[in-house]
Amino acid sequence: MIARAHSLALRGLEGYCVAVEAYVANGLPAYAVVGLPDAAVRESKERLMGALRNSGFFLAPKRITVNLSPARARKEGTHFDLAIAFALLEATGQIPKSIAGARLCLLGELALDGTVVKIESTLSLALEAKRLGFTALAVPAANAEEAAAAGLPVHPVNSLREAVALLGAPDGEKPRPYAGPGGDGAAGGEPEAGDAEDLSDIKGQAFAKRAMTVAAAGAHNILLIGPPGTGKSLLARRLPGLLPPLKTQEMIEITRVHSLSGRSGAARSGLVRQRPFRAPHHSASAVALVGGGPWAKPGEVALAHHGVLFLDELAEFSRQALEALREPLEEGRITVARAREAVEYQARFMLVAATNSCPCGFRGHPRRECLCTPLMLGRYAQRLSGPLLDRIDILAEMNPIAFDEWSGKARETAAPSSATTRQAVLGARKIQEERFRGMDFAVNARIPARELRRFCRLDGDGLKLLEAASRRWSVSARTLDRTLRLSRTIADLGQSPEIRSEHVAEALDLNRLERLWADPAALAAPL
Amino acid sequence: MTDGLCVLRRGEPGFPRLLEEIPDAPGALYIRGRLDPEIPAVAIVGSRRPSPYGIRTAAALARGMAAKGIAVVSGLARGIDGMAHQAALDAGGATWAVLGCGLGQVYPPEHRDLAERIVASGGCLISELPPDAAPLAAHFPRRNRIISGLSMGCVVVEGRLKSGSLITAKLAAEQGREVFAVPGPASSPLSQAPHWLLENGASLLTSAEEVLWKIPGLEDKLAARSRPAAAAPTALPAARRVSQGWSKILESLGSETLTLDELREAVDSDAQPLIQHLVDMELSDLIIALPGRRYARKT
Repeated sequence: MIARAHSLALRGLEGYCVAVEAYVANGLPAYAVVGLPDAAVRESKERLMGALRNSGFFLAPKRITVNLSPARARKEGTHFDLAIAFALLEATGQIPKSIAGARLCLLGELALDGTVVKIESTLSLALEAKRLGFTALAVPAANAEEAAAAGLPVHPVNSLREAVALLGAPDGEKPRPYAGPGGDGAAGGEPEAGDAEDLSDIKGQAFAKRAMTVAAAGAHNILLIGPPGTGKSLLARRLPGLLPPLKTQEMIEITRVHSLSGRSGAARSGLVRQRPFRAPHHSASAVALVGGGPWAKPGEVALAHHGVLFLDELAEFSRQALEALREPLEEGRITVARAREAVEYQARFMLVAATNSCPCGFRGHPRRECLCTPLMLGRYAQRLSGPLLDRIDILAEMNPIAFDEWSGKARETAAPSSATTRQAVLGARKIQEERFRGMDFAVNARIPARELRRFCRLDGDGLKLLEAASRRWSVSARTLDRTLRLSRTIADLGQSPEIRSEHVAEALDLNRLERLWADPAALAAPL
Repeated sequence: MTDGLCVLRRGEPGFPRLLEEIPDAPGALYIRGRLDPEIPAVAIVGSRRPSPYGIRTAAALARGMAAKGIAVVSGLARGIDGMAHQAALDAGGATWAVLGCGLGQVYPPEHRDLAERIVASGGCLISELPPDAAPLAAHFPRRNRIISGLSMGCVVVEGRLKSGSLITAKLAAEQGREVFAVPGPASSPLSQAPHWLLENGASLLTSAEEVLWKIPGLEDKLAARSRPAAAAPTALPAARRVSQGWSKILESLGSETLTLDELREAVDSDAQPLIQHLVDMELSDLIIALPGRRYARKT
């Protein structure tokens, strides 16, 4: 007798239907799983034996074949257990035919005692189930909320018995599907109360904070430079708290990729509600950053999607790793190509990089002496420049703070808190949202060069200033474009519809990356 | 690197007479370029890691002296030495570099271009060491006695108490040369050497004109050469109209290098207008922005 139940498999983030067929024939007792199962799927036999027995079912000593179709595609994961169990029960006549209809997607791993345990990548599976035309889902109770975010009716099940009873019940008696954690899924995304990291914890550094605010307002990539101990990573860690709350769609995208890498913070709430902050160590390989491995797993750039990727000690990252960041920075997505498959992940993140100003760290320090030779400085500059620096809009130099600032004695010019700063950022983002409605970009940092004329019109004074700067500092066209985008963001922060020369001036100040290598020798030149 | 090299023995005509007089005068000099023993020379030495103030001052002094026909002598080191050579070249004057290694190479390597320009513009590279001698630490203090020995006076711009500049100045004093020191900010460790010198009898120097009447006989020597002085340095740019905000910033900067935060404190301004002023002033060539968000005056 043949029976069939339905489940789903993933290739990267993309799913495809898997029909689980069970065939029970007379003959020498045997059990075979075919259809390219991986080790975990093959081992389902042992789990199923225990689970069936301990749920009050049995498995007759017959010749049993389980086929996972399409037979050509590789199947991984343990979430086929539930579908296999249903197919077996039906094939052995222990449950009525097709109580699990063709439009019901069964997902769940079984424990030996028959409980249905939590699985990975639930959200992706649920979303793909919806796309592929399933009308309902049965998932482990622990994954119910994550699955419900996809919008299909979800039947949470705790055990195999419960699943059989639930799905076997006549329509009228079926319990209502899970409806989400009370209320709409759009709530949340606010930083949690008692969020310990506030901008006002950082003493002094008013200019660096301002730079970070501008970065947040227009989604500009930013480079923090300064001697060790000036609070570069403290500042970087406060960026997610300045960004607008996540939209439901964004939460879904983040949760999908995070649950794929098996590290969803989903256990608690189903959806990831916080903007990701990824800070890979500088020894990270290119594969760790962009993804890869035998299963084309997402890397740090994909995990930072809609969040912040923080590269501390930028100069220490390998050239290869930095080179690999180009594609995601440019395209907002990354294609991870492996021998047999290519998987595409979205990777739209804000880059925050931090580095010392020179190998010894004291270049530009107001009191300590930098002991680097010109040769060392040249090498360092070479390491830092190149493709990545081209994608950075803002340079924020940080100075060591003076004792008075540290002790709070200095006249603190109203150190802004994260909350007030965020309000300003939200205001600027709102303007951008309205301005770019219907476009394929949403923030100033991503205005394409061809649209700059349209969105970043300068007044006469602003234009004059920009022209003077381009002459004096011989800036490239790319830098000019960057300055325009930045001035747009600064104007938006000031709620000013037109870009004025003061906005251009601040933009010029924020993106003068060549100031890093400014040589005091210029002072000796005759005027 | 060794082509155009010539050797000048002590006692031969053309060997600088001033140098001949010193107690342990070198037996011979290797020379690349032109060493005109008739040109009066003054040494400018200082820190290898000068402050913007030191750079500005050394360059101004070297330009002024070179324009008057004085050869600027220094050691081709990083920092003040290099600045002095460079500024002398800019003013169209002759400048002599005394090296701490053989003339087969140039140390520090990033001054190779500068060395070429010194030779090309009528100055010279000098060393008492054979061409293949390496730049060993032991060579440098000895080359200092040649720097001072060639010169009628020796100017120290910036340096710490334990610095080669101070050694050169002491040697100059022993050789009976006039020693000058340029005062620096009291707060800067780089002012230690010049201030120590001033306390111990060196002459105060604030402009190139002063060397003329503070070194006895220098003016006569220059007049005797009757060589028309190189074109005087272009007159200072006509005073620019400077807004009130700008003049306040310039005043606060004075001769110091201030960070953006210090500057904001000093002029008591909000961040945004201050930044706008600074960008404008940088574009107008009044100030320079240095790494670490520090600013210094250019004039």
